[in-house]
Amino acid sequence: MDYTFDFNAVSLAPLLKGLWVSLELTVAANVIGIVFGFGLALLIMSPFKLVRLPFMLLVEFFRCTPAIVQIVWIFYCVPMLFDVFLDPITMGVLALGLNLMAFNAEAYRASIQAVPKEQIDAGIALGLTPIQRILHIVFPTAFRASVPVLLTNGIVIFQQSALVAIVAIQDLMYQGKSLATETYRPIETFTVVALIYFAVSFPVTQIVGLLERRRQLLVS
Amino acid sequence: MIMSFSLPLVKMQSLHKSYADGAIQVLKGIDIEMKPGERVVVIGPSGGGKSTLLRVMMGLEKIDSGSVTFDGKPYISSGSSESKTVIDMSVRRSIGMVFQHYTLFPHLNVLQNLILAPCKVRGEAKSKAQDRAQTLLERFGLGAKAKAYPAQLSGGQKQRVAIARALMLDPKLMLFDEVTSALDPELVGEVEQVILQLAAQNMPMMIVTHDMWFARNIASRVIFCAGGVVVEDGPPEQVLGSPKEERTKEFIDRVFHINQ
Repeated sequence: MDYTFDFNAVSLAPLLKGLWVSLELTVAANVIGIVFGFGLALLIMSPFKLVRLPFMLLVEFFRCTPAIVQIVWIFYCVPMLFDVFLDPITMGVLALGLNLMAFNAEAYRASIQAVPKEQIDAGIALGLTPIQRILHIVFPTAFRASVPVLLTNGIVIFQQSALVAIVAIQDLMYQGKSLATETYRPIETFTVVALIYFAVSFPVTQIVGLLERRRQLLVS
Repeated sequence: MIMSFSLPLVKMQSLHKSYADGAIQVLKGIDIEMKPGERVVVIGPSGGGKSTLLRVMMGLEKIDSGSVTFDGKPYISSGSSESKTVIDMSVRRSIGMVFQHYTLFPHLNVLQNLILAPCKVRGEAKSKAQDRAQTLLERFGLGAKAKAYPAQLSGGQKQRVAIARALMLDPKLMLFDEVTSALDPELVGEVEQVILQLAAQNMPMMIVTHDMWFARNIASRVIFCAGGVVVEDGPPEQVLGSPKEERTKEFIDRVFHINQ
């Protein structure tokens, strides 16, 4: 192979501009996912079947279809079906946020249900009311337990955000594609793009690992 | 003792309890009267209904039929419909319980574990509750652990904190459900010492334990429970020393054999 690498052709400025957009999408999607995911978790645990079932279906819909299909569907169908026209970034946030909301709802549900029954019994024995038990025992314990999963889901959404390039949002992936076409240097460009995604994600995965190890120590 | 002539502290009448729609009968008519100041140790084989009895007393389990009065007041009764058990919440608040598995709240430190219920349930001022908690912890040799989290404590320390937490609500009766069963053997003593300390102050208690040494030391009365009924009931020297019933004798022989 006599290919000569030329990384000078890869100008960082547009890529960093793209990274900024990707980070905006990620942070906004995470706000939606963390806040509304919790509400959704409560709905899918509702004692009333009529409430529970539609929301369970919603969660499963997002878990069982490719994120790219969800993004494209929201981009093209929402404006046509509901006559709602939003700017692309908002649409991207909506698509990624709803996807993350579904996955986070599952994370919350799992950790709420994993709170040991003995903890609840202890709360009853101490005379706490059902609401007090939920607010002071179940939620704090469950939220702590779900932090590593929420972080993992959050970083997965950062990577999934690359998919919005397909609907012309100028994120890191989009800028990379443009640059690669302009410079005829796809190898160098996409290598740098990959390294940027890695540089952001890797520290977060390390933090997750640290939290999980610490948690294991704490729980035992 | 004057108190022994007063009203019974606890009066259980014909308690019945089953699981799986009546398929598994755990309590088949339990009648126990407990006087103030008594320390009742309940022994018996696993599945004999001992823990269920304590859980019913704490209001954690529904009953099929029967009733419990506490300090002369109606406490638990099987309501009109079959699946309804009526529990008087204000009576329940005068009973404290410690469980087999550590049930400290892991996200709160020792002091916060102790003051949660007094502050939330009784609306006690935080500073006042903290002072009481600190005093109680000192008494149990845990003064230095107030700021520690449950995960940083040994099993024995956790159980002592759990006992202190229950005492924060000034219970009139303490229930101990196999509180040393999950502990390493060398940690059992420190927890039993704390319970003996309470016994010395005449705290009424019901204790489920497999530790016969402890049972003999703490009980003012021993109840042998098997197959969902009270088989034998009497002073510790009798039930543990020279039981009248054949089933009790068999059980005691087996347990002491294992212990040796």
